[in-house]
Amino acid sequence: MASSSQSQAPSKYVTLISSDGFEFVVLREAACISGAIKRMLDPNSGFLESTTGRCQLAEIKYVLLHHTPKIFKYAHRRQYIYKMAEQGGIVLEKVAEYFYYNYRNRNREDVPDMEIPPELCLELLMAADFLDSEPRLV
Amino acid sequence: MITGKGRQKIRPPRRPLIGSGDGEFDAMWDILREALKEIHEKNASKLSFEQLYRASYKIVLKKQGDKLYDKVKEFEEQWFGQEVMTAIGSLITPNLVNITLGVVAGTTANERRLLGEAFLTGLRSSWQDHITVMNMTTDVLMYMDRVYCADNRKASIFTTSMGLFREHILRSTFGKATENSGLTTFDILNSVILDQIGMEREGDVINRNLIRSNIYMLEGLYESDEETENEKLYLTVFEIEFLKASRNFYQKECQTLLRESDASSWLRQTKKRLIEEEDRCQTTISNMTAPKIARVVEEEMVSSHLTEFLAMEGSGITAMIENDRYEDLTMLYQLISRVDPTKDPLKVALQARVMELGGDINKNISNADLSIVPATEEGEAADAEKSKAPKQTQQGKQTAAAIKWVDEVLQLKDKFDTMWRNCLDEDLILQTALTRSFSDFINLFQRCSEYVSLFIDDNLKRGIKGKTEAEVDVVLDKATTLIRYIQDKDMFERYYKKHLARRLLHGKSESADVEKQMITRMKQEIGNAFTTKLEGMFKDMSMSEELTSGYRTHIRNLGDMDTKVVDLTINVLTTNHWPMESMGGANARDEGGRHNCTWPSEINTLQESFKAFYLKERNGRMLTWLGFLGNADIRCIFPKIPGKDGVLGRERRHEISVPTYGMVILLLFNDLAKGDSLSFEEIQERTNIPTQDLSRQLHSLAVHPKCKVLTKEPANKDQPKAGDKFSFNEKFTSKAVKIKAPVISGSINKVEGEDERKVTEERNDEHRGNVIDTVIVRIMKSRKELTHQLLFSEVITQLAQRFKPDLGMMKRRTESLIEREYLERVEETSAPTYRYLA
Repeated sequence: MASSSQSQAPSKYVTLISSDGFEFVVLREAACISGAIKRMLDPNSGFLESTTGRCQLAEIKYVLLHHTPKIFKYAHRRQYIYKMAEQGGIVLEKVAEYFYYNYRNRNREDVPDMEIPPELCLELLMAADFLDSEPRLV
Repeated sequence: MITGKGRQKIRPPRRPLIGSGDGEFDAMWDILREALKEIHEKNASKLSFEQLYRASYKIVLKKQGDKLYDKVKEFEEQWFGQEVMTAIGSLITPNLVNITLGVVAGTTANERRLLGEAFLTGLRSSWQDHITVMNMTTDVLMYMDRVYCADNRKASIFTTSMGLFREHILRSTFGKATENSGLTTFDILNSVILDQIGMEREGDVINRNLIRSNIYMLEGLYESDEETENEKLYLTVFEIEFLKASRNFYQKECQTLLRESDASSWLRQTKKRLIEEEDRCQTTISNMTAPKIARVVEEEMVSSHLTEFLAMEGSGITAMIENDRYEDLTMLYQLISRVDPTKDPLKVALQARVMELGGDINKNISNADLSIVPATEEGEAADAEKSKAPKQTQQGKQTAAAIKWVDEVLQLKDKFDTMWRNCLDEDLILQTALTRSFSDFINLFQRCSEYVSLFIDDNLKRGIKGKTEAEVDVVLDKATTLIRYIQDKDMFERYYKKHLARRLLHGKSESADVEKQMITRMKQEIGNAFTTKLEGMFKDMSMSEELTSGYRTHIRNLGDMDTKVVDLTINVLTTNHWPMESMGGANARDEGGRHNCTWPSEINTLQESFKAFYLKERNGRMLTWLGFLGNADIRCIFPKIPGKDGVLGRERRHEISVPTYGMVILLLFNDLAKGDSLSFEEIQERTNIPTQDLSRQLHSLAVHPKCKVLTKEPANKDQPKAGDKFSFNEKFTSKAVKIKAPVISGSINKVEGEDERKVTEERNDEHRGNVIDTVIVRIMKSRKELTHQLLFSEVITQLAQRFKPDLGMMKRRTESLIEREYLERVEETSAPTYRYLA
């Protein structure tokens, strides 16, 4: 929805879709911190994703937990479409949050650690492995 | 999830997937295989990356990565075999194979180029396709690369596929296509590229980009999957062949040039080739080769036949120097500097040329000398007939020859200096070499010291008149340069002293300032010891000026005006500083007894008066009056001759300027009755003037027409000698009131005759002997004991600044020192050794 296949220049934003259909529109540059997403969207290879700008991440699951989702303060508010659900989308949301966190702090030093709820740790670790966006020093 | 510094990497848990089985793998692989096929057919836009990625992810998680890896490899091999090779195989025509094998029959260059280009284009496109496809494949299989390959230390799928390309495309043989089995794509590729480069070297235009892309391919491929830098296929396969072919090519080219061309075009061609090859490395092949191919060109084009080209008649180095071909020389210098940092061949050639040209100059002057010397002797023999004038010009000629020699040497020096600045990049090695050669040939010429001093003399007397300071500086610079080259500095000092003494005493010097500058330069160049005496001479001159004016005041204060006042100007010379002998004192010495001339009474009084004045302030000094120097102005009255009209009818007064000896002689005639005469012997007895000097003085007073105040009997033009009679010439007339008696030889600076020269050399040798004595004693005094060899080398080093001692002379001096018991030989030693005797 944010990007279209018509435009020559790749859109600035891409959509990440969790296995249960939650969609997150994030900055392309931030998302490309993930090796897998980067390759997925590489216009030179010309896979389906690179033309649509939509990444179906079937491997990343939602997790049902009784959490009140926080307002995503790092996203650009106008572009940020947030499907409000009572519970869910937490893993992918955290992933997106990490992308932004990483993107925002890409040239800084002594960055405070990102807050990770302990109950999400395992899922996030697996997601990171899949997306090839394992934590590295900023 | 950002880890802090030093924290360990967190590994994710690998989820054991339930229900693993071949069935599931096959399903996954089917998806992947279909996808790979689509990718290879450039049809990927329908494929979901995520799906494929997930498939490989799952396979790897199920620990079936090895299977996947092998399957992909198998797939690629099949693809190469079926699709790529057929495409390339069709490009390899029998003709192309023939080119590779060197059988070029029936194909023109153009055909060959087209064939080659088609092949290169084909290969390029399959390579580019392969790269794109493999990039995509690798992307899809990224998880396998990251996890399976890393864990099992396998080369990534990309590297493996590169290896496959190398093995299956480039290294595959074409046994079936032709009968010539064993020929690989590599061979064909190499030969095609080399063929194309060869065409470019011949002047054709080729598609550089096309070659470049194929070279990129070779640069991207490695011998093995380890991908070490120095195992690039470019280096291992192509570059070797390229250098070999180039070497052959340039060998042939250089041979052709040597046979058919001259050195100048050789230089241009070589330079052009070097630029071309440099350019080729930039645009057509790899930059890595640039230094190597430059090396090949240098070796084959420059080093191998350098001497032959340098020696080429009419265009070699001789001609280049001769005709000032600066451009050629510059190129030559650049080329030689490339191959040989010592630049030996150029150095040797330049030195030889300097020696040759310098030798020519020396020879020309010697020839000129020889042609003049007999003429001079003849002139002296037939003096009666000839007037003095031609003889003067003879001497003048010789002096001019000396100056010509110096000028030519300077010109040569200028020529090489310009060359050195313009073409040789002011190279220090070559400068030293040139300096050495100049010094060598200058010192080969025996009279260099004399001539250089004469040159300076000439310039200081006349040459610098009306020149600006800068121009004078240039002259002085030149003089200094020459002095630097002279080896026998003591000889030079001797001549310079002699010439300087004459300039100072006769007031010939153009500018005292320039004289002093020259001394300062010599001081800087050679050292203090060299110039102390010269400076002493200047000091004497200024002291004398003070003395003279002091004496005049003294006389005036005495108020003793009764006698006829003789105005005295005096120069007091310190014996050590002035070269008495070469100034004319030698004649006096030869005749031992006649040291002091008998002075007329007027002069004697004057001398006593001055002596008293001088010694009043300087006790214990000795004054010796040197009659052979100095001048006197005498007022002469010639009486009117009765019965004659015109000039002779009047009384004539003339002021005659004569040398001191001349004055002494003339004063004798004051006391003589009219018509009386004095014989040569009588004059000599009454004046005590050395025979030779007397004869000369009488010659100028009684024979030379300009100032013939005496008459000689017999009245011929012979040199006055014993037995001749002289009387006062009453009939003397002259238009000028002031007459200067003609300067007789000995008071102008000119080239020495053979005899004089011999004398000078003897004197110099004598002096050297003393210097060597001193040096030996000084050394031995500090060392006590020294071997013969060490002593001699020490002596030579100490004297290097002044002259190069002759070995024979050193031996003689040592012997004489042993005789005089300064030294003794040490017995019972293997090497001859001396000991100092205190």
